[in-house]
Amino acid sequence: MTPLSSHTVGPFFPEAFIREGDNDLTRTTTDAPPSRRGTPIRLNGRVLREGGLPCINAILEAWQADAAGRFHHPADPEEAQADPEFLGWGRARTDAEGRYEFHTLLPGAFLDRAPHVNLLVMASGLMQPVATTLFFPEFAAANATDPVLALVPPSRRPRLFATPDNAGGYRFDIRLRGSADEETPFFED
Amino acid sequence: MAEDAPARFDPLPPGIAPIVPTPGYPSTFTHTPSQPLIRRPPGRGEITGPLALHRKLPCGEANLAEPIPGRPAVGQLIHIAGQVLDEDGRPIPDAVVELWQANAAGRYAHASDTRSAPLDPNFIGQGRVRTDAEGRYGFFTMRPGAYPVPGEAVWWRPPHLHFCVLGPASLSRLVTQMFFPGDPLNPLDHIFMAVPDAAARERLIARPLPPSEIGSGWLGYRHDILLRGRRATPVLA
Repeated sequence: MTPLSSHTVGPFFPEAFIREGDNDLTRTTTDAPPSRRGTPIRLNGRVLREGGLPCINAILEAWQADAAGRFHHPADPEEAQADPEFLGWGRARTDAEGRYEFHTLLPGAFLDRAPHVNLLVMASGLMQPVATTLFFPEFAAANATDPVLALVPPSRRPRLFATPDNAGGYRFDIRLRGSADEETPFFED
Repeated sequence: MAEDAPARFDPLPPGIAPIVPTPGYPSTFTHTPSQPLIRRPPGRGEITGPLALHRKLPCGEANLAEPIPGRPAVGQLIHIAGQVLDEDGRPIPDAVVELWQANAAGRYAHASDTRSAPLDPNFIGQGRVRTDAEGRYGFFTMRPGAYPVPGEAVWWRPPHLHFCVLGPASLSRLVTQMFFPGDPLNPLDHIFMAVPDAAARERLIARPLPPSEIGSGWLGYRHDILLRGRRATPVLA
């Protein structure tokens, strides 16, 4: 392996900070029972850099609404009805092939937003975390009117759709850097 | 969209975000997105975030300096404490603050750090705490050493601490670094100097506390962390 500075400059996010179960959005604590109020899904994919090479030890954080489209947070007027057993947040680390995996429930739509999962990626070579959003292709009507998706140039939108993998999962690769067609669209909030 | 979004999540003022890709830091040229970021107005999914995250991420490892009683780590004992504040200066209780750093020899206890500097069996260099009702956090730790960044033109990272703050909203999620006052390596660090605004860089530097206040046990520093706003602590992952 080429001794790129990515292997020496860090950031050396501690391995112990990510424990088994941290990538499970359906549990409020590591040993809590998972929420079953929705359709369990698995999100997985790879984090890739220029040239399509894997990003090892990248950290991903996911945040999403519960299956009914609510957030357990005071900024959601429907907080009281939010699923109390669903955390909606998880953290994962990529392996040597750049792979990550999350366990969650299919998120619900809310307001004018199509079902989606917000993802934050931190990795060596990124001076700032980058934010993207995963959409589900089966919600064609909601996707067609989603105001965030509408901000993305049409040619780049396909990069924001996960691909169903026939095993109860969705595949979503994140390309940090590439040509305009290859690169995942990232947002500034 | 997002009629329930408060106006307080203003865009960061210019001069705070680091320049990317970053000259002298080669992997930023292969990892930084080449396309412009797409600005989106904050909606319900962005102004919210996980609450009570300390239930998911166990907190309490505040003493990095002596993780096993009677077996202190090698180096200069320091105490770093401060408040996590929102952009209006209000304390943020129940934020999760994660700290990680190199040991006194500038080596991380991490499989990816393969440099030959010694590891300290009594120092892992990582901890996680939850802010109290006043937004306060604090860690005992060792002053980290500097370490070189190999390459065509070698440079050294000054002693620094990495902080992750998980606040009450996705928008206030912060990853940053803290530096020590007066270190001659600070102005030579490509990462520190990537923050364009000098005043913003100053907010990455801890303030030494007078030994007359602290006593003879350790050196004390204060480091407040502001999430977003005009005086935000710069992001530096």
